[in-house]
Amino acid sequence: MTGLMRRWLAHAIFALAAFATPLLLSGNRYFAFIAGITFFSVLWATGMNLLYGYTGLMPLMFGGIAGISAYVTIGLSANGWSFWLAMLVGSVAASLVGIVLGLPALRLRGFYFTLCSLVIQTVITLAFVYFVNLTNGDVGISHIPLPELPGGRQLAGTAYELVLATIAVIGVVVLTVIVESSFGRRLTAIREDDGLAETLGINVTRQKLAAFFVASLFASVGGALYAPYVGFISPRSFDVLLSLNIWVMVAFGGRGTIWGPVIGAVILAPVPFVLQDYYTIKDVVYGLLIIGVVVLLPGGIVGGVKRKGRADAPAAVAKQAAPVR
Amino acid sequence: MTLLNAQRISMQFGGLIALRDVDMRQVAGETLGMIGPNGSGKTTFVNVITGHLTPQRGEVHFDDISLLGRKPFQIAAAGLTRTYQAVRVFSELTVQENIATALVDAARPLDSDGVAETTEWLELRHRLDARAGSLTLYEQRRLEVLMRLVQRPKLLMLDEPVGGLSSTEVRATIDLLSELKARCTLFVIEHTMKVIRELADRVVVLLAGEKIADGPPAEVLADQRVVEKYLGSADA
Ligand SMILES: Nc1ncnc2c1ncn2[C@@H]1O[C@H](COP(=O)(O)OP(=O)(O)OP(=O)(O)O)[C@@H](O)[C@H]1O
Ligand SMILES: [Mg+2]
Repeated sequence: MTGLMRRWLAHAIFALAAFATPLLLSGNRYFAFIAGITFFSVLWATGMNLLYGYTGLMPLMFGGIAGISAYVTIGLSANGWSFWLAMLVGSVAASLVGIVLGLPALRLRGFYFTLCSLVIQTVITLAFVYFVNLTNGDVGISHIPLPELPGGRQLAGTAYELVLATIAVIGVVVLTVIVESSFGRRLTAIREDDGLAETLGINVTRQKLAAFFVASLFASVGGALYAPYVGFISPRSFDVLLSLNIWVMVAFGGRGTIWGPVIGAVILAPVPFVLQDYYTIKDVVYGLLIIGVVVLLPGGIVGGVKRKGRADAPAAVAKQAAPVR
Repeated sequence: MTLLNAQRISMQFGGLIALRDVDMRQVAGETLGMIGPNGSGKTTFVNVITGHLTPQRGEVHFDDISLLGRKPFQIAAAGLTRTYQAVRVFSELTVQENIATALVDAARPLDSDGVAETTEWLELRHRLDARAGSLTLYEQRRLEVLMRLVQRPKLLMLDEPVGGLSSTEVRATIDLLSELKARCTLFVIEHTMKVIRELADRVVVLLAGEKIADGPPAEVLADQRVVEKYLGSADA
């Protein structure tokens, strides 16, 4: 029993903090809203961590998938569906799209997949702009109604933030369970060397696509809940900047660790609000942050997966030095 | 009983013919050695058999199932596995995690006693918590073999298992591999003739993608053509 308690201690503390925050901030809508946005960031960073941290694929279309789910969910709600059913359908649909968009990862690795995902993200954004009758194009959709609750009430205010806290906690728990399961072991093997993984009997194709599905679920559940929470979405809400934002949180915190990206999200998600008054330098600060992370913190603040190519592999050295026969 | 039967394998890379009509049969329990100069197609042959490359022509049967068109993970499940010429382990993971990864989708995994016993036998038990990338080359080579053995393969193809090792380590590896014969059938590519002479029941010689000799080591290694084309320059 003590083992089990120790095992989930960090999660319990995180859950406690997550549920306490909206309650403590309930007197100040502005701060409570920042907390709400931070919960989305935790959920999204955790989902991207599954792909970027544990599978070794950096999916820059992550924001686009969240967007697909958001548009489908509010589209269906506007047609009279219950929000929750719409969210279920929207999330699953967007995650299936996520699998399809992950297909290039079967051929492309590392940087090349990242480039490809950037192109995919751009296409998704263009599609949001193009299909005006579904998305209202660049104008965006405003006055998105809040999700209804049983009994005719609406999910709003502190209750909404508590739901977001719950989703964030569930996300972290789900990732933890995955990482410690054989699914997680397969993904780590793929991240380290997918050719070797395949030789050892792992169906790399299937595992990668499964990873895309699960990570896309994180993106899309967040996307569906984000739209009514903020009340307004446009193609820019789910553009490449969202993907990059989340990526920075994962990398800054420490990819391939459970808590690194959570910490990254908690630290970085409030930054835009803090810098709000310095709008002109916001992007500069942001750019410097990206460079700083890449150069100074290859493993993130928690010290996760480092970039490859370190010269400490004796085998590689020995191989060079060894005579051929 | 024929375990591996490859017929008329031809593999071409653009204009380069890496394998030309190569036939190869291996009986269960027989240790087959493969030698040949650099670039003669040995690794390419293993890549074709294990599903890493698709040949332009030829057929491969293993345990009476056809392997062509199957992926490496399916071929591994059928009981045919390989090591790589350049040692290849999950270097950022611990030895323990490497072993666990080899077990995760193994079709016929060893039980935990078997894994412990094999780890002991390959003298890796004291290294279980070490990062695989921090092991010596010899330890990494043993880890590679261990990761295959926990899957209880029927045929293990070793691509230059002593490449880069010291002479003491080569000696020890030969001893390990001869004990290994009791567990599974071995196919060994080597440039070090000592390995072939001591381990192989039969040896095949590739030259520029063609099989030029096939027979008992004593005979093949004395063959005039083999001596001229290859052994003259090797450490025979
Ligand atoms: N994937 C590939 N693409 C193009 N050419 C290749 C490929 N793999 C091998 N070759 C070429 O095929 C030929 C045979 O290579 P292979 O690696 O099979 O030789 P080998 O007998 O294993 O040599 P060595 O003893 O040096 O390991 C070489 O000319 C090599 O350059
Ligand atoms: Mg070779």
